Amino acid sequence: MTNYIPTIGIEVHVELKTKTKIFSSSLNGYGEMANSLTNVVDLGYPGTLPTLNEEVVNLAIKAATVLNCKIRRKMHFDRKNYFYPDNPKNYQITQSRTPIGYDGYVEININGTTKKIEIEEMHIEEDTCKSTHRGNKTLLDFNRAGVPLIEIVTKPCITSSEEAKLYLEKLKELLFYSDISDCKMEEGSMRADANVSIRKNLSDPFGTKCEIKNIGSISNVALSIEKEIARQIRLIEAGKTFKEETRRYDDKLGDTVLMRVKETGNDYRYFPEPDIPYLFITDEMIKNVEETIPMLPDERRKIYLEKGVSEVNANKLVQNKSLSDYFNTLLTENTNFKIASNLLLGDISAYLNKQEKQITQTTLTKERFLELINKIEDDSLTSKNFKDILDAILESTKSIEEIVTEKGISNIIDDSALREIIKKIIIDNPDSLADYKNGHDRAIKFFMGQVMKETKGSANPKLAMEILKEELN
Amino acid sequence: MKYLDKSIIELHQLLKEKKIKPIELVEEAFERIENNKELNAYITLNKEEAKKQAYELENKEVDNILFGIPIAIKDNIVTKDLRTTCASRMLENFIPIYDATVIEKIKSQNMIIIGKTNMDEFAMGSSSRTSYFNPPKNPWNKEKIAGGSSGGSAATIAARDLPLALGTDTGGSIRQPASYCGIVGMKPTYGRVSRFGLVAFASSLDQIGPMSRNVYENALLLNAIVGKDEKDLTSALKESEDFTRLINQDITGMKIAVPNYFLSDIVSEEIRNKIKEIINMLENSGVTVDYLDVKYLENAVTLYQIIAMGEASSNLARFDGIRYGHSKENPENIDDLYYGSRQEGFGKEVKRRIMVGSYLLSGKNAKQYYNKALSIRDDMKKELTKVFEKYDFIIGPTTTTTAYNLTDSMDDPLKSFMDDVLVIPVNMAGLPGLSLPVGFSSDNMPIGLHIIGNNFEEAKIYQLASFIEKKLNLNLNPRGDQ
Repeated sequence: MTNYIPTIGIEVHVELKTKTKIFSSSLNGYGEMANSLTNVVDLGYPGTLPTLNEEVVNLAIKAATVLNCKIRRKMHFDRKNYFYPDNPKNYQITQSRTPIGYDGYVEININGTTKKIEIEEMHIEEDTCKSTHRGNKTLLDFNRAGVPLIEIVTKPCITSSEEAKLYLEKLKELLFYSDISDCKMEEGSMRADANVSIRKNLSDPFGTKCEIKNIGSISNVALSIEKEIARQIRLIEAGKTFKEETRRYDDKLGDTVLMRVKETGNDYRYFPEPDIPYLFITDEMIKNVEETIPMLPDERRKIYLEKGVSEVNANKLVQNKSLSDYFNTLLTENTNFKIASNLLLGDISAYLNKQEKQITQTTLTKERFLELINKIEDDSLTSKNFKDILDAILESTKSIEEIVTEKGISNIIDDSALREIIKKIIIDNPDSLADYKNGHDRAIKFFMGQVMKETKGSANPKLAMEILKEELN
Repeated sequence: MKYLDKSIIELHQLLKEKKIKPIELVEEAFERIENNKELNAYITLNKEEAKKQAYELENKEVDNILFGIPIAIKDNIVTKDLRTTCASRMLENFIPIYDATVIEKIKSQNMIIIGKTNMDEFAMGSSSRTSYFNPPKNPWNKEKIAGGSSGGSAATIAARDLPLALGTDTGGSIRQPASYCGIVGMKPTYGRVSRFGLVAFASSLDQIGPMSRNVYENALLLNAIVGKDEKDLTSALKESEDFTRLINQDITGMKIAVPNYFLSDIVSEEIRNKIKEIINMLENSGVTVDYLDVKYLENAVTLYQIIAMGEASSNLARFDGIRYGHSKENPENIDDLYYGSRQEGFGKEVKRRIMVGSYLLSGKNAKQYYNKALSIRDDMKKELTKVFEKYDFIIGPTTTTTAYNLTDSMDDPLKSFMDDVLVIPVNMAGLPGLSLPVGFSSDNMPIGLHIIGNNFEEAKIYQLASFIEKKLNLNLNPRGDQ
């Protein structure tokens, strides 16, 4: 089989995390009773007019900034006219001619090198209502009608499903970190369409493209692109031609299926929205928005690595924004960041997951966490000890020292106390001592087990092993 | 039962002194409307609610000059719980669940809404003959049109049913029927009055305005309805002002421009002569009048057709039979619901404009027509604004002819636009314009003078209009009694 070069472009719709809708004062919410978040504007009642939610413009400026886009200073909205039951006015207010952001990029790391995925444009528009098909009836829920969206369109510069996946992961991370969207693909707050075509040589014109609509997860984007590439290769190899199609990915089937063949001259009769005057973006607006952008994931990863955090932990931290934000509060301190990351991502994360809590909802202040790190670092607290007092650490406001004393574990790890315990164990188990002398390795494990049992696990294992060996010999 | 021939100032005094009650005015208005039934000025009367409101007002303080004054509302302005049809079968049974901003303002002044007036379907027309509910008639001659699209509002004011009405003006729809019916009609500056709750025809041109028996009362109603509205992004941020404040002030030294096109042979000789008479009178009153060529005026109708129909095709897309309005019974599928509901719900002229508008916005046409029209419109706006650097007003006739017969052919779609050839440029430029009755034709039909002012200079328009009104002192009651 000949090698083909895929050309992929991705369009992503992201719902913005605003209090109210884009063109009305209705609340922007998910999972509420059908049609409870609507008013006459959302329903497209005769005589109603759109207003413009300033929060949307600010979030769009923010998105344009984190996606390295140029920002258009004078813009308008356009009407996209088409009849569909989920489109209450039978036109959608969008930006066709003057998208707020253009010529941007997102960097991904693929096979050890950095690639820029170029963003053609990003624009603001309103979401449609949600339709549910029941037999021959269709139910309409207008709660989603008028929810603010940004649509982010890449250039056809993606050449593999892996790149597509990395791009979407990066995009999601950036938008989530900047508090622009909660980016939940399963709730539809982030939706992706992929345009796929193939050709034999880079010098060839682009092949016929097919669009895969509304893919429900990032992994399915990758899968559907692979399937679509394979399908197009099969057709071309069989000498067949095909038309531009709109397809969808069928999860059960594990393949893309035809929705409709694209008709030429799809005519949306765009024209400038006369109900919304021109919008001017000032330097000040951009500056104000820039000040609200937190440290982004790439920078966080870089700093974590510099502070001695392992690459695995650095990535894990970044994947959990609230932990990462918490971790960032330590960055000005002189502490062991490796231990800090281990603690946060290990037992503390397990606790948080179980309790369904955020780190900020526990009593672990920065000061107490630093104390904890110190105790672990100088071996005055073992990981077993730590596990035993984890609940107290995260639920009480006492200092770590106080908790340790209270639980009666501080004296045991004292050097001489431990030596006395070990001596006694050896005397109490002459058979095992004999085994050890005869070279049976399992004897030393038995003794260690006894030590831990006797100290209720609070002995520092490294230290216990040292003393045990000294005493045995 | 002669109260409603009195001026609003007189009525206000009587109400204030408790010599009359609001219910007397309301009952008289309904009686007059009943007597003038054949004018067909109304689509819906608000009898019960208006009477109820009138009784309630008896216990309230008469706190403003429009308190208790009956008003009629054009039927494309939504009124909560009061049927709003846009004179279309599409909305024959449509009861809005909210009030337009202007209606909120009118209610807050305790004016009493008497009914919803007849009009061209969705305001598309210039004779009100595209109404689904049959056309209104001209009180001066019931064989003739009242004009349009605010024909019902013009007819009911001219017939002296009540003193005030709201109309809407997209391409002359207040001023032209005002001229045909011999009343005063003002289209304010675009943005002066909130459009929230006005069922959109052409969003960038639509404007609500007052219609009245005389200039002063027109200004009073404008006072009540203006203001920035957060619900309408195109409404203008302007301090409220008293539009009557310049009335009776001296006009000596004012400068008026008359575009040659406005007195060219597109205008009937009779009307031209009447306007020239007025010009002479003004010149004798110390006003300078210059005739000049103003570019683009003759393109206005073409531009208007492209812009208005393009926008209309989109604005009327929401009438799909799903959420409100006429819905085809037992549709086979969604397309059948769309086609059926719109085919049955819209009249011929509306369909024609939607089709032409859709065509104009299609594919390459959008660039070739709509965008080009917008750009010429900007030039036209600049050209007209330039005139106001030197002049206080632009004047001319409101219409090229007086009201014609109801039975005249409607087959020529261009004819209806040509009726508005003199008034459309004002909408294109967003300027304020007023039609003032200045005389009658040989067959006793009213002739209107069109006064155009600079942006937001409505008060100045009223100043000139009231000067002329006083000077002419015409009897504008079609029944002849003063």
